[in-house]
Amino acid sequence: MRAGPVRGLLFFGALVVTPLFGLQHWVLNLLVFVLMFAVMSSSWNLVGGMAGYPSLGHAAFFGIGAYALGLIFRGHTVHSGYEPFFWLPVIGLLGAVVGWPIAVVSMRTRADVFAIVTITFLFVVQTLAFNLHGLTGGAQGLAMPIAPFPAATFEEPFYYVLVVLLALALGLTYGALRSKVGLALSAVRADEDKARGIGVPTTGVKVLAFSVSVGLTAMVGGVWGYYESFIYPQFAVDPLITIAIVLMTFLGGRATLWGPVLGAFLLEAGQQVLAYQLGGNQFYLIAYAMIFLLVMLFLPRGIVPTIAQRRGKRSRSAGAGATPAPPASGLDLRAATGSRGTP
Amino acid sequence: MSAILTVDGLSKGFGGVRAVDECSLAVEQGTITGLIGPNGSGKTTVFNIITGYLRADAGTVRLGGRDVTGQDTGRLYRHGLSRTFQQARVFPQLTVLENLVVAGGYSWWRLFRGRVTRSDQAAAQRLLAEFRLDALAGVPAAELSYGQRKLLEFAAVLMSEPRLVLLDEPTAGVNQVLVETMERHIRARNAAGITFLIVEHDMTFVMRLCDPIVVLDAGRPIFSGTPAQVQNNPLVLDAYLGS
Repeated sequence: MRAGPVRGLLFFGALVVTPLFGLQHWVLNLLVFVLMFAVMSSSWNLVGGMAGYPSLGHAAFFGIGAYALGLIFRGHTVHSGYEPFFWLPVIGLLGAVVGWPIAVVSMRTRADVFAIVTITFLFVVQTLAFNLHGLTGGAQGLAMPIAPFPAATFEEPFYYVLVVLLALALGLTYGALRSKVGLALSAVRADEDKARGIGVPTTGVKVLAFSVSVGLTAMVGGVWGYYESFIYPQFAVDPLITIAIVLMTFLGGRATLWGPVLGAFLLEAGQQVLAYQLGGNQFYLIAYAMIFLLVMLFLPRGIVPTIAQRRGKRSRSAGAGATPAPPASGLDLRAATGSRGTP
Repeated sequence: MSAILTVDGLSKGFGGVRAVDECSLAVEQGTITGLIGPNGSGKTTVFNIITGYLRADAGTVRLGGRDVTGQDTGRLYRHGLSRTFQQARVFPQLTVLENLVVAGGYSWWRLFRGRVTRSDQAAAQRLLAEFRLDALAGVPAAELSYGQRKLLEFAAVLMSEPRLVLLDEPTAGVNQVLVETMERHIRARNAAGITFLIVEHDMTFVMRLCDPIVVLDAGRPIFSGTPAQVQNNPLVLDAYLGS
């Protein structure tokens, strides 16, 4: 068996058994948030990493997902507690459907302009959330369905649903990297005009990537809203969420399979620890910014590509350069990730 | 012979500059047509309009008798018109092999197939062998020399089995050996039925390879003929040397 699938099985095996060790609530709570960000940065990676379109609007879809769940269950009580989870595919579809026209319009612009257009969308959605009182409850917030899970294991259902969503996000990323979609997205990222000129369906693949990405993000929003049991516009549609998932993806490595997950585990865990250490003030944001500067300075391509490159160099110099380059195959992910080693 | 590409009354202005001014020309099926002219005479702009990268202010472009004016560049590519760029645009983070496969055509169901399928591999390997790039198949294009990138870009546009290929300065900045290699490939492909339209500054290369040659000056053709006629035409000398 190849190293990639083995790594995946080990990772998800570890995630599945972790709650069985009787962890304290604060640890499980931390893990729930780490997983949320892992799913979101993996999904952001489809657009921001693989297509090279730095969307800053993803938090809008997080909020759309949260409010959608709240509205679906408004006035209903949940019995088993699992009903909201069954609605997540619908919420994902809703996010993707809303995202499609947004992508068609905003992806006519590129790079920094695209970033500004998408963050504008975020603020539009936030303003709507504050002002559509009938729908969102405005600044008073919206009550979500109350999860009837026993207090002793309250976090576990959310944890496992997020594990499933992470598997979905990573599965989609893996599939994209190994298919023509990934090849087309790499071409878009490198030189979109050239790609257009050699028949790559540039608009199709980037809009598809955006829709799938924001659909996944909306599902995480739904889980978050249900977990919080009461949501407010400033937290449901929060620019800091966008910034966090971008940071995590950059830290771990754009356009790699594991980079965004690694970034989310490091940064979200680190942020929670910093927030505890530094108290309730927002000093942790300064630490956050410093981390970002250090990453840009020393690991501009992110952790995973940098490690892969170093490893690749070592093995190549060990081979004394006499060996011819191996033929590329459909299974070779190196080029897909823009790095010289396995992602 | 019939014209595979007809350009009629093409005009394009950038602000106050008329880069292309009522330009009309035809490329006959099966030829290697040269397009020359002093710097700024509008050669690349004509290329960009023909290939759908720029929208003309006026005029029409016909490909094989069909009006394709203003059509999307990707669609033109699917209809058998492909081009290379002056600066050898390849995808640096893709391997040499993938640079060919990415140009191999798409459809919705193909998009979800393997990144490089067996048949992609076979088609690309054939071209790589022809261009003597097969030893580099797995290397990222970023590691190629400039000349190798030029060859790779040329090889890639052949993946779609085009009818007409536009080459924008195929020999600019490459060494003499590669110039000859490039010439050999163009001749071989021309013999196999592909029509070429080539913009080039290297006059010995153009005079050796192209017939007919169209001379552009100030955005419009001033002369068209065989290499010998072009070399002896006073209008052409004027355009290049100034009267």
